[in-house]
Amino acid sequence: MVHIPPPLEIHDLTVSYDRKPVLYGVDVVVEAGSLVGVVGPNGAGKSTLIKTIMGIVQPNGGWVKIFGQPYRKAVTRVGYVPQRESVDWDFPVSVMDVVLMGRYGHAGLMRRVSKRDRRIASECLEKVNMQPFSDRQIGNLSGGQQQRVFLARALAQESDLYLMDEPFAGVDAATETAIVELLRDLKERGKTLIVVHHDLSSAREYFDKLMLLNMRLVAYGEMEETFTPDLLQKTYGGRLTILSDVAGQAAGRSEFEEEGNPKL
Amino acid sequence: MKVPRISPVFVLLVFFAFPALVHATRIGDVTDLDWSEQTFRFLSLRDAAVRNAVLGSVFMGVSCGLFGGYVVARRLALFGDTLSHAVLPGVALGFLWSRTKDPVAIFVGATVAGLLGTVVVAWIRKTTRVKEDSALGLVLSGFYAVGICILTVIQEMEFGNQSGIDKFLFGQAAALSSADVSLMGAVAIGTLMMVTLFNKELLVTSFDEGFARSVGIPVEFMRYVLLVGLTFAVVTSLQAVGVVLVSALLITPAATAYLLTDRMGTLLLLSALFGVAGGLLGSYGSFLGNNLPTGPFMVLACTSFFVVAFFCGPKHGLISKWLRRRNRVRQVSFENTMKAAYQVLEAGDFSKESVTVGALAARRRTSVAEARREADDLVKAGFASMLGSDDDGPRYSQDARLSLTPAGWERACQIVRNHRLWELYLTNEARYAADHVHEDAEKIEHVLGEKVVRHLERILKDPRRDPHGSVIPSLEDIERGAGLSTNPASATGYFRQN
Amino acid sequence: MREEFFPTFDYGSVFVDPWWSGFESTFQVVLMGFFVCLACGVIGNFVVARRLALVGDAISHSLLPGIAIAFVFTSSRSLPAMLIGAAVAGVLTTVLIELIHRKSRVKPDAAIGIVFTTLFAVGVVIISIWLDNVHLDADCVLYGEIGLVPLRESFILGGANLGPLPIATMGAVALLDILLVIVFYRVLLVTSFDAGLARSLGMPVNTTHYGLMIALALTIVAAFEAVGVVLVVAMLIFPAVTAGFFFERLPALLFGVAPLSLAYSLGGFHLAKWLDCSIAGAMVVTAGALFVVAWFFGPKGGLVYRSRALGFLFTASKQKISPQIVG
Repeated sequence: MVHIPPPLEIHDLTVSYDRKPVLYGVDVVVEAGSLVGVVGPNGAGKSTLIKTIMGIVQPNGGWVKIFGQPYRKAVTRVGYVPQRESVDWDFPVSVMDVVLMGRYGHAGLMRRVSKRDRRIASECLEKVNMQPFSDRQIGNLSGGQQQRVFLARALAQESDLYLMDEPFAGVDAATETAIVELLRDLKERGKTLIVVHHDLSSAREYFDKLMLLNMRLVAYGEMEETFTPDLLQKTYGGRLTILSDVAGQAAGRSEFEEEGNPKL
Repeated sequence: MKVPRISPVFVLLVFFAFPALVHATRIGDVTDLDWSEQTFRFLSLRDAAVRNAVLGSVFMGVSCGLFGGYVVARRLALFGDTLSHAVLPGVALGFLWSRTKDPVAIFVGATVAGLLGTVVVAWIRKTTRVKEDSALGLVLSGFYAVGICILTVIQEMEFGNQSGIDKFLFGQAAALSSADVSLMGAVAIGTLMMVTLFNKELLVTSFDEGFARSVGIPVEFMRYVLLVGLTFAVVTSLQAVGVVLVSALLITPAATAYLLTDRMGTLLLLSALFGVAGGLLGSYGSFLGNNLPTGPFMVLACTSFFVVAFFCGPKHGLISKWLRRRNRVRQVSFENTMKAAYQVLEAGDFSKESVTVGALAARRRTSVAEARREADDLVKAGFASMLGSDDDGPRYSQDARLSLTPAGWERACQIVRNHRLWELYLTNEARYAADHVHEDAEKIEHVLGEKVVRHLERILKDPRRDPHGSVIPSLEDIERGAGLSTNPASATGYFRQN
Repeated sequence: MREEFFPTFDYGSVFVDPWWSGFESTFQVVLMGFFVCLACGVIGNFVVARRLALVGDAISHSLLPGIAIAFVFTSSRSLPAMLIGAAVAGVLTTVLIELIHRKSRVKPDAAIGIVFTTLFAVGVVIISIWLDNVHLDADCVLYGEIGLVPLRESFILGGANLGPLPIATMGAVALLDILLVIVFYRVLLVTSFDAGLARSLGMPVNTTHYGLMIALALTIVAAFEAVGVVLVVAMLIFPAVTAGFFFERLPALLFGVAPLSLAYSLGGFHLAKWLDCSIAGAMVVTAGALFVVAWFFGPKGGLVYRSRALGFLFTASKQKISPQIVG
């Protein structure tokens, strides 16, 4: 039997900002066709996890493989939906321009945007009901509309693995339903989706699998296995404070240990 | 021709050796004055110009240094730069109005222009989508251009030639009049008073405006006070440092202080000190160089302080950090060797009092020579002693025996206990697989403090064995410094509850 | 010697004479101004979009020691030497800023402030000690001498006289900037808008950033002699911001640079003719005036369109747009 590498494989990943650890020793393998919600309290490292997978943040230790390859090689197979606040919405581009950006990976950097690219972009906008707004400057949209533009862009990337950072944050109810439908639809088509989510109550119905994160990976698995009071308490409760405190000291020092004493 | 001597400035500007060297040649070539004579003239304060320059530098250092503390703490550095450029049209208009270099007219004009500039920045930010950096850039360059236009016109006008108005661009401390200096003194005293009076208010507002508002501090008013004061400081310093570089006098001394202290009060004090010292050295340097523009010299003096603090600051300096880091690496290496010694002893059921270097090497998975070197380091640090003398065998014999001193034994026990407790914590509480916890514990063992360890023991209910079944040395063993007993029962907590 | 600050305005001497009696030098000065604005404006659009306006300011100041040292060594305005000097200084600036803010607790804004003032001070010291009597005047560093450009030696290529060297250089740099923007448009667009997406598309985000910085340094060096280090910042920012009140898409903003450049250059030249002041300063004053006009009357976000009091005049053309953030 041919071994098909999983869409996402993370091994012993440690990330820290300014010597404060954000992620510590995360190990996880996500299977193809999963719809995974990443939940955890504020500052649990959810966004950092996505950014590290994307290669935006450099890890201090461990590695990430996407379809069995380092990120750089598998880059065209990944679609990314950043947090809405991460871009400048006054930027001089129209809705269509933004969605077309999703096609740049396919078009090649020098080639012109083809008719086909435009058609695909337009279809993606249709799917999120944003077609009528395609000529608008992106600042003139509501929060939910902006989020849908981002989703359309991710769709236009035609990726196999989608990483979404808080797509439900600050959107209206209609957009929320639309996004959920879209996620389901993508999953049906065999795509893998990893979605950072801030609201525990809705996570249960939106996703199939849950990744409980609080600096460490507390649990990962099917919804019924992971959505248990015990594990949630562990993720959100204060029981592991020593863990984070001490890991903080250790990660702060890990850097010199690596360069200073390789034997450790 | 005289051989140029190295000026003292050279020492100060050692990081900018190039211009400083050039500077020395220039004195030798052009002026006939020896640098020591110049220094004497400067220090004796005989000339009125020198007196004014010195006093002016002191006042400027105080007001810029103090305001700079808030500028750096509130991250307004680039705003300060904008403000200093925006005053130029005011300077030019003040001059145009009075037709001489009248300090009051220039002061008023520059203050108005500076405040107008900040208002325009705020207005652009409020009414357009233009981002802050662009808004600052627009005002900075736009106002400056207006200033340049007026200045170039003035230079064509009949009173413009002897005006010395061009001194405002790069600064000339020696051109300060006593009226200028009194104005600077007034601003410096005002600044001092403001900082003492509003010390708490400014501190809270700078740190957290929301909180300041909630405790009833008039935040808007404080911001206004700071802004106006900052404008005054910039405007009065213009003649000494110049429009383009005055922001350095705000930023650099305060940033230097920021590297040296964690307290706002100390920061302000140091910042003012560095400001004064930089100002004095700068005007001295420019005086030596036959009245070259003062501003650049002041900036270079301030930067040299910064560079020194950057590398040699006791707490945040690069060198001190490097030393501390090296110490810790050494410490970790010691601890690992001691731990290995403990483990060797443990493997022999504590029946021996010493370990051979060979066994140590095997445990640490290093060469015998390497293990011997580590053992020697331990001996030097007083954590162990070598049994027998080196004459007994070849220097790197693997049979040389090492024995932990009580201090070494205590530390070794602590490390092993930390390691095993942590492994247990990870498996029992954090639900890690037992084969995943070792690497983590290898790092954590060196940083666990006594308090955390007690806490862990409480959570884990005074455990005796780690997940792999090894005995966790108890607190009593460690405190007893018991070591080296041949009785395993007393050497570990194994039987301690009997 | 003049008495009045505002000379009597004489249409003939301000607008007609320069073109009638001194066509060649007038044309060259205006052309130089146009090229400067064009090159800076094109790069400036990306500088503004990336919120690097003040970094641009810092770099323009920091290039001075590089240029000055190149002057000292070649004792002429040798362009290659100046470019090398400026490139070194530019790289040094970026490295020093990074070093200070990575290796200490000094915040980025203060790090920028320290580095650029220091390098600029070094440059001024070098100039005032070594180059004062050569053709580089410390004041000129601050506002340029665009009026002297026609007096410079000509650039001869294959027997054809391409006009004074600075103009030929500036034209070449402007052309290069435009070509770079056309070729790398997509990369520049995506990296400026959303670096995360750019990375996920496999675009070289860091390389693009440094490439842009190098192009910026190159443009500033070429423009330096004409407009000085402070005013060049204006040329970077004003076109992009002003055009932003009329257009909402990047290509339109970029095309908007050309007419604005022409307006700045012509307006500045004639304003300076009238007041007899620095031409570069007058160009920026013109730019500032046009900005204020756009700020008030620009159809996209201009004050008049936003103001409620005047809103009724424009209700027909203005569509109320849905609120920015919902819930």
